[in-house]
Amino acid sequence: MLVFVARRIALAIVVVVGVIVVTFVVAHVVPGDPAATWAGPHASAAAIARARTFLGLDRPLAVQLISYLGGIASGNWGTSIHTHLSVLSDLMTAAPASLELVITALALAIVVGIPIGLVSARRPGHAIDHLVRAGSILGISMPIFWMALILQLVFSQHLKLLPAAGEYSPGLLFTHPLVKRTGFPVIDSLLGGNLPMLGSTLTHLILPAIVVAAYPAGLIARMVRAQVLDVIGDTHILNARALGFGERQILARFAMKLAWTPVAAAIALVFGYSLVNTFLVESIFDWPGLGSYAAASISTLDTPAILGVTLFVAVAYVVANLVVDVVQAVIDPRIRLR
Amino acid sequence: MQRGWAAASAAGVALALLLAACGGGSTYSNGAGTKPAASTVFTYDTYTQVMVDGWDPATEYSNGIIAMSNMYETLTRYNPVTHTVDPLLATSWSHSPDGLTWTFRLRPGVHFHTGRLMTAQAAKAAILRTKKLNGGAAYIWGAVKSIDTPSQSTMVFHLSYPSPLALQASADYSAYIYDTQAAGSGSLAKWLNAPHDAGTGPYTLQSWNNGKEFEVILKASSTYWGGWKGPHYKKVVFRVVPQDTTAAQLLRAGQVSFVEQMSPTQWKSLQGASGIKLVSSPSWQNLLAQLNAPALSQPIRQAISYATNYPGIVAALSGAAVQSSGIVPAGLFGHFTNLPNYTYDPAKAGRLLNSAGYGPGKKKLNLSLTYTAGDSNEQVVATLLKSSLAKLNVNLTVQPLAWPTQWGKGKSSSPSARQDVFMEYWWPDYADPYSWFVNLLLSEKQPFFNLSYYSNPALDKQINRVESLVATNPSAGSALYRTMQVEVLKQAPIVFLYNTNYQYAMTNTFSGFQVNPAYPNVIFVYNLKP
Amino acid sequence: MIESPTIAPPQAAVPRGRALRQGLAANPLLTVGAAIVLLIVVVAIFAPLIAPFPGDAGTATNPFEVLKAPSAAHWFGTDQVGRDIFSRVLFGARVSPVIAIIVLVIACLVGVPLGVAAGFLGGWVDELIMRVTDVFLAFPPLLLALALAAVLPASLTSVTIAIAAVWWPWYVRLIRGQAASVAGRPYVEACRALGISRLRIIFRHILPNSITPVLVQVSLDVGGVILTASALSFLGLGAQDPVPDWGLMVSEGQRYFTPDWWLVTFPGLVILMTAFAFNLLGDGLRDLLDPKRSFLL
Repeated sequence: MLVFVARRIALAIVVVVGVIVVTFVVAHVVPGDPAATWAGPHASAAAIARARTFLGLDRPLAVQLISYLGGIASGNWGTSIHTHLSVLSDLMTAAPASLELVITALALAIVVGIPIGLVSARRPGHAIDHLVRAGSILGISMPIFWMALILQLVFSQHLKLLPAAGEYSPGLLFTHPLVKRTGFPVIDSLLGGNLPMLGSTLTHLILPAIVVAAYPAGLIARMVRAQVLDVIGDTHILNARALGFGERQILARFAMKLAWTPVAAAIALVFGYSLVNTFLVESIFDWPGLGSYAAASISTLDTPAILGVTLFVAVAYVVANLVVDVVQAVIDPRIRLR
Repeated sequence: MQRGWAAASAAGVALALLLAACGGGSTYSNGAGTKPAASTVFTYDTYTQVMVDGWDPATEYSNGIIAMSNMYETLTRYNPVTHTVDPLLATSWSHSPDGLTWTFRLRPGVHFHTGRLMTAQAAKAAILRTKKLNGGAAYIWGAVKSIDTPSQSTMVFHLSYPSPLALQASADYSAYIYDTQAAGSGSLAKWLNAPHDAGTGPYTLQSWNNGKEFEVILKASSTYWGGWKGPHYKKVVFRVVPQDTTAAQLLRAGQVSFVEQMSPTQWKSLQGASGIKLVSSPSWQNLLAQLNAPALSQPIRQAISYATNYPGIVAALSGAAVQSSGIVPAGLFGHFTNLPNYTYDPAKAGRLLNSAGYGPGKKKLNLSLTYTAGDSNEQVVATLLKSSLAKLNVNLTVQPLAWPTQWGKGKSSSPSARQDVFMEYWWPDYADPYSWFVNLLLSEKQPFFNLSYYSNPALDKQINRVESLVATNPSAGSALYRTMQVEVLKQAPIVFLYNTNYQYAMTNTFSGFQVNPAYPNVIFVYNLKP
Repeated sequence: MIESPTIAPPQAAVPRGRALRQGLAANPLLTVGAAIVLLIVVVAIFAPLIAPFPGDAGTATNPFEVLKAPSAAHWFGTDQVGRDIFSRVLFGARVSPVIAIIVLVIACLVGVPLGVAAGFLGGWVDELIMRVTDVFLAFPPLLLALALAAVLPASLTSVTIAIAAVWWPWYVRLIRGQAASVAGRPYVEACRALGISRLRIIFRHILPNSITPVLVQVSLDVGGVILTASALSFLGLGAQDPVPDWGLMVSEGQRYFTPDWWLVTFPGLVILMTAFAFNLLGDGLRDLLDPKRSFLL
């Protein structure tokens, strides 16, 4: 077991180093001049040259890469050119908002996707099955930036049921101020016993979470359906049926258990996918997460920040995959023996 | 199992809705809303980050004035109704007949937010520091040779050439009076950028959340010389909402008090919405296309001027634009309606292009245009221009860039890296046409704002003497401005695309709002009555 | 997007004639998907003839007809410079699907040889290729494409390159599985013992077996590539005006979205429909061609 975990971690580290190198190479094809952005709009040529030296941009590329690698390892991810703050601290500030959104969306997707997949698997070929299949394919075909705009239009502007944007109501900033502990508004308001703020953060989460949950929900429904139908013909299921277990129990206790492995792997996959999807909706919902930070970095050609965001998300994705792999190995001994 | 899931989900949703009912109230329903303490908070909704140029009042030259103008004050303030300047930190002023000596009396009992008393010495220190740093619009103090402070509340300016100093002291940039001693022995620039504010204005900085939505929060300064009798806003919040559809929704819900900019049809759609007031007002801002003069010969520049569909632009922008006449916008000294302006004449443009070897039937001309990414009006104009030029066998490549990148490219030291057409807005630093000429048309060794890279020595001479002429002989100055505009139109280094019409949307929960074109998009929140 | 971590469907014969017709009839979703895809192809080919204002897909503008609501003259309304949105949407069918085809061709051209090499040759070649593939697979697709597209000059070409650079690893994995399973079989060893060259084995045994899974994967991927491309264009990194790219149209229409809802609604709806159709098609093809999927019905 330990060997398995150690191997997986070693592999993950190799992958992360590769990710850093690839990202670095990508980011240094930049045609703009980050030094000019850093030095600001009124800079003289001398000031820009000073900025270039300060940012280390005048060293050879290989040297920059090595120093960057060393920096990452020691916690120095560079300084953002458009905020002038450390990239890591920028990421730490922006990440909770995106993570809150992704986690909520994934929870929603699981709560919706699994039952729907089971329902569909129960009566394959019937109308409800086709409906669910079409619906889940619709989910994975959805351009989410469009879905965000449409939902915002319908629920916020026309029906006035849900808020348009932001993480919480601005008026509450002054009457029930949020004490920042974890950086996650929902958790912070829970911890602080700030009920009005909690209600506000939850309602502001609804629309963005639904949008981000569309793809994972569709994917999970399809996976569950596929996996359950895959095992439903197996001997031990027939055995269970013969023993008199009800259909629902069979689905829940036997089929679902086996379906968990690939579904869990799929969850890791969509975690990364959804984290990047939030980039598309954050500007629409004024959500102050990684997506807004990435958009600002792209428009200002902020190389360290673009690198930082890409790295951060990729590493989060690798870690998520690692965690899922290890958990699966714990649950299913067949995996670690492979 | 399925029942279990369904029940759990239903319970979860019910809980969320219950909590929503407790918190937030009906703030996203139409109507007055139940925001607590709403009437003491003024929320200014802007579409782009506010403090992008640092926190130094001496060098600020960008969007930050919407916040700074509430924290800092100038000696005088321009009055758009009377077209003169009103007293602010200065209570009265006079100048010698030759215009070379100006005496200002300062208001007594004014304190900086740092606690120090504002004296003539303090004001002098601020102005001299601004001049020395030479950032922003520091050129407005260019005529000042020296300043004397015979008493605590008297300043005497000695100028090297006549200049309308009282007017210049009302500028929206580089004219703030601030406490140069705020950082003690430390670096003032560092202290200011922490950030802190060292102003005398009605509001002072409460918090700054760089890059966040609620970017700047100001609170009332209890020591403000104007006092707080009567209804005043106690807090000012600057909220950055990049999408104007979101901004409109927030306005309808009463969550913001004022929206700085939105698309014209969006603005029009708010007509009749309950609780919302719409204000349309001429501005001193115009959109220009600066043509690369060294790269494009005069016939080509004139052709582009004739190829611009001026009425089409006005129609497409549905009320946000008015056709320009010359450089100087209406409402300003130096504006003339009877100038030899260009009209939309594709045939003439074609002939001019042919004379240069391009145009219909001849060689294809490839041009590059840059505009500021995110600005939808600029995007519409650029697309229309591209379309008109395409009919004349001119291929215009349109490139949206973030402002710092666009400007950086325009200032590039290698001419081949520069664009052919630079699109940007311009507005004056103080209520005078000088700003356009000295910034956009005066020869520059290194490009800064003269992004037509235009050099006309005769025009330079006129630019250098027009301000002194205006200070001593206004009608002669006005005539000179006319002459200069005629020449600029003939040489066509700049295409005057349109003059901006402000289209503001705000809640009707306050009164006292007045558009002041001398301070673009600035609201002096202290003057509003909630 | 591969949905299960390992996919290596055993070879299956492509059903012909009656079997095909039966398959289609039994799978209504496949039929619907195929029909819509056919419609899109027809529209893409005949756009200049069908579109009422073909010039509007190019540089033509009409400043006096801006932001008009859908009407008899303009079925989908006009945009912020007066162009007919219906015509632009029709021409857009030439943009996104073409990007998808180019991307997937590149992905196959790069991924298949690498996958064959990895699976068939094994050893350190396999390790090296799979590690590199793992690194690229460590990025969620849109992320790396985003980073790449952000540093390249914004254009359709850049988007195509960026997405292709991200999509090839899936095909390496796919083919490697195939190649490895074939390489391990006894008859391959026998062939080698007889002196038959590796290349012949590859071309005669591995590649033919791979056609089906690659075909299925490609048809499943078209939808994903179209969504990724439109997302990049939405972010301003792809097609530039006046190219009638659907994602770009949604992005430009955002500012006018309320009250001028038609600028965003129709292009976005078409993206959805296209991705949906290709996904249906891919799904249906997989069901049809993979006998292991006994739940065809």
